[in-house]
Amino acid sequence: MDEPRPTRLIETALQCYPARWRRRHGDEAAELAVLLIIDGTPPASIAVSYLAGAAREWLTPRPSRRMITVACALLAAACSLAAAAGLLTSAVPARAANTSHWHGRGHCRPASPEPVPGVIAAMGHSHVITREAGHDRSC
Amino acid sequence: MSVQDSKAGQDVLRRVGEASALILISLADGPKHGYALIQDIKQLAGLELGPGTLYGALDRLERLGFIEPMPADDRRHPYRITTSGAAALRVHLDALERVSAAGRLRLRLGGI
Repeated sequence: MDEPRPTRLIETALQCYPARWRRRHGDEAAELAVLLIIDGTPPASIAVSYLAGAAREWLTPRPSRRMITVACALLAAACSLAAAAGLLTSAVPARAANTSHWHGRGHCRPASPEPVPGVIAAMGHSHVITREAGHDRSC
Repeated sequence: MSVQDSKAGQDVLRRVGEASALILISLADGPKHGYALIQDIKQLAGLELGPGTLYGALDRLERLGFIEPMPADDRRHPYRITTSGAAALRVHLDALERVSAAGRLRLRLGGI
């Protein structure tokens, strides 16, 4: 006599589980379903229970999946940092180009990079006094 | 949530659900496989665990180190409770007892 088999509905529900779960529990779960049907449990309710279990199995984070999530987060962070660095390096030459083509708005010019050394002896400290080449007022 | 929690006296089973606690109670008197667990829980608690719920709870308890699978006989995998599983169950049952006693006392005090 043929061994009793779970209904197609239950087999389909069991197929919804991850492969790892099916390798581990698949045969036993099918056998358990047959025993429950023999006991009088409606096959549909067994199938629904397995479907809900399969959904939970996919949604529950596993340690390995957690590692993958962390790796993806790190990769995304590295990519966004690289993108930000790329934007910065492309923005700096553009700004430099803007300042080199200074048409002058009269008094307002960027600070001169040339420092004028001076010593404030009275205070006993050496200071470098920076004097702006154009105006003393900052813009 | 870990084995350390139950060692520290925390009721870990309260957070993993009723099915897990019932499975541990069922395994407390000896190893059982899935079908035997469902039958036993039906008898002791009047609750029919769905097979999907059962396997989810078994996996969770195994991850926590509260149960361990034994060598399979045929296609069935019997499970047995571990020492830390027994400790976690004790903590859970103690907590239930305290809540139950407090509830009964309040009912008496309230005259209901």
